Parts: sequence; C-alpha cells; structure tokens
Amino acid sequence: MEENVLEKEIFFPTMLVPFGPQHPASGHFHAMLKCDGEQVVELIPYPGYLHRGFEKLMEYRLHVQNSMLVDRICVLDPFANEMGYANVVEKAVGVEAPEKGKFIRTIMAELGRILSHITWIGVLSMALGLDSGTRIAWGDREKIIRLNEIATGGRIYPCFFVPGGVRRGFPEGFKEKALKVLDYLEKQLNLYDNLVFQNKTVHVRLERVGVFDSKEAAALGATGPNLRACGIDTDVRRDEPYDAYPEADFKAVTMKEGDGYARALCRRGEISESISMVRQLLEKMPRGKIRIKELALAKAPVGDAHFCCESARGELCFYMVSDGTNKPYRVKVRGPSFSHTLSEFPYLVRGASIADVPAIYWSLDPCPSDMDR
Amino acid sequence: MSISKPFSIVKHLFKKPMTLAFPFEALEPVTDYRGRQVLDLERCVGCGTCAWICPNEAIEIVEYNGRKYPKIHLGKCCFCGLCAEYCPSEALKMTAEAMISMFNKAEAVYGPDKLSGKAK
Repeated sequence: MEENVLEKEIFFPTMLVPFGPQHPASGHFHAMLKCDGEQVVELIPYPGYLHRGFEKLMEYRLHVQNSMLVDRICVLDPFANEMGYANVVEKAVGVEAPEKGKFIRTIMAELGRILSHITWIGVLSMALGLDSGTRIAWGDREKIIRLNEIATGGRIYPCFFVPGGVRRGFPEGFKEKALKVLDYLEKQLNLYDNLVFQNKTVHVRLERVGVFDSKEAAALGATGPNLRACGIDTDVRRDEPYDAYPEADFKAVTMKEGDGYARALCRRGEISESISMVRQLLEKMPRGKIRIKELALAKAPVGDAHFCCESARGELCFYMVSDGTNKPYRVKVRGPSFSHTLSEFPYLVRGASIADVPAIYWSLDPCPSDMDR
Repeated sequence: MSISKPFSIVKHLFKKPMTLAFPFEALEPVTDYRGRQVLDLERCVGCGTCAWICPNEAIEIVEYNGRKYPKIHLGKCCFCGLCAEYCPSEALKMTAEAMISMFNKAEAVYGPDKLSGKAK
C-alpha cells in the first residue's frame, strides 16, 4: 500500500496550480489548487489582496464621513453598504429617517441590486468563455450607472445615503428616465435568457457543478441567492423588513437544485423582482422631507446597535459600538462574500475538475473587496 | 430553438453602437455631477468647515491675498461633496468637470487661485 502511494507521488505528483490574483476570472482573489491530474484535491485560499482596513478607519471618522467610506467595501453594490451603515447609526441614535428618504433609499438599493446582478451576468459569461454576454451585460450596466449619476451625482460611488435619510431628492424627470431604463432592461432580459441562461454552453458548464444541499449551505454560512438556490426560503428584506420594503410586494426567488445553474437562475429571477419593486415604489412615492440633517453629526448614546440588510450577494450586517461621541468606537462588518469565498468555495471545488473552478467561483458571485474589507 | 434564431444577429448591424469614440466624443455629464470644486473668493469666509468635514483630509486652509482660503489636494479628494454641502456661505461648489488627470502630483494641488478659476 505504502509503495503504491510513493509510486503515485513520483509518477503522478500532486500539482500546485495558482488561481488569481491577476486573472479576470478570479478578481483580486488568490488561491492555490492542489491538483491530482485534472481533479482538484484541495483549494487553499490566500485572502488579503484587497484589505484596506475599513473597520479601523471608521473609528477615526464622523458618522457622515463613514457613509462616504463604506461605499468602497463592495464596489459593485455600494448602495447596500450605505444602507447598512445609515440604518445602524439611526438605530443607535434611536431616530428614524423620514418616509420619503426611506423610499428613495429603497429604490436606489434595488437599482443597485440590478446593477450588481447585471455585472455578475457579465463576469459569469466571461468565466465561461461566452464573451458576447460580457460585452452586452457591461454595456447595459452603463444604463443604470447613468441613472445613478442623475440621481446621486456619482457614477460608481454614489455617496448618497447618510444617517437621517438621503443627501438629495430625485431631480425632475428621474421617474420617467428610470421607467424607460427598466423597460429597456426587461427587454434585454429576454436576450440574456436566449444568450446566456438557455445557452447550451452555460447548461453544460453549470448544471450539476458545485452542488451543495441546504444543510451544508447553511453550515458553511451561505446567505442570499446562494442559500435560496438550495431551497431555503429566506430573505432579510421580507423577514426583518427595513426602510420601505414593507410597502413593496415581492417574493424571494428560490430553487431546489443547489447547483451553479440554480444559483444563476435565482439571480436572474431577482433582477425581474427588483425591476417590479422599483416600479411599485416609484408609483407609491410619498411627499415630505427627505432628510433629518442633524442626525449626520449626532452623538450616539453609549451602547451598541446591530443591523442586517440584504445586499445583492447576501446578508450584510453592521455591528456598531458607540461610546457617546459622534464617531463609532468600533464597527464590525459581516460581508456576505467572506463565507462565499473562504468556506463555500473551497468546499465546492473539492473533487471538481480545474476547468470548473472559475464556473463555481462566479456562480457563487463573490466580491473580493467585500471579503477582505 | 428555431433555425432563424441565429439570424436575429443581423438586426444589430443597423443599431447604434453602445460605446463612444472617447477623446472626440464623450458622455455629457449631468448638471449635478460631483466633479472638481470651484471656489467663490468673494463669498468664502475662511471658516475651515470644509477642512474639518473632509473625510480624506484633502483640504488645507492657507493664506492668500491676506485672507484665509481652502487649498484642495485633488489627488486625495474622493469627490463626495461634503465640503460643498457643509460650506456655510456656499462659496465652495461642485462642478461637472471630471477630466482632471495630470502628469505630476504637484499639479493636482489646487490653491485658491486655481480653484476660483472657471470650470471647463
């Protein structure tokens, strides 16, 4: 027996294949794949390429300044981070934002979710070698970025939600422009269905690849679409509603299979749901104030606050301890990508072939900047 | 899947491209875009609120013509617009000027004279 192992090691040694950090299919994430021929035996992740120390930086800044900083935690989904931080400060101070401010926040957060998912369609197509999908998806992404620009003044980093509401109301004609973009995107979704989701290549590359059941997924810390793809019906927006989500009628998209294709369809379904939510909320928009300006520099009483919101990738939680000043004493961010990349990904890759690694990676939709923070 | 489906690509030949030929044409920035700041020398009271609120500590208060004015290091600026929002006399404003790349760091420091110049 021992001789056989030795023989195998000499003639067929386990190879170490690097994955990332400078490859478009990995983002800024580095991992070493221990391979036995084509089969991956083990994946050793090396996080930290995008560590910028946000949690420490936040301790030195005012609440309103932190709102500008949290954008950078996840570049592809900045609104969710702002939503989380603004809400946790409001919770700590004990004051709620005005109704109209909450509506604007929810609309922008849902547009952010569409933005993130469309970007993801692009990178998934890129990982699967379907380049036309990448080009078209990133072209459509520009439409929502333009909406961001009109509403907030910033393209990628909106710096828009602050404790106490939003920094400005929608400009005139925003509703019409937003509805036009949503109509366009709905039309484009048919194209994505034909080009990406019903494509033979995508079926072959994603079906029965990277499968886990609901128990394993929950144990590995999966949240959001990855958990819903295993059949667990969970959504923070519905279970613990915040901001204007109780006003919107939506359902959490769930699948049963738990493989890469189910995760892809889950996100595809979420885009449709978000489009309908933005439409509903734009119709129901109330009148009134958008912001309580004093709250941005308000002192939070001694104590702590905890807030969870549903980002495009899953559950995003903020825990803030306050020492009675207008700066946080300590902030802890629980990003969804941390467990996607560091616990689920190595688990799913074990036993898969090398070619499946990027497919599994992007079917989980991790964000390396959210993982490292 | 029908046989005619692949031929639907042909219609894209008659559509406008998604991209722009950048140096010659560019997207029009929106009116409320958060680009480079512009300073009104008459209105500025030199209170230093902009320097205090700046998250990146990119603003410094300097003497100019015997009065105090902000000097902005655009290399550090994150264009969040807090300085303009908290300016009590509305002297500092954000403009739609976004093309502010330069070859060396020293050029990125905008003193009161450069800041008060008209935005492109």
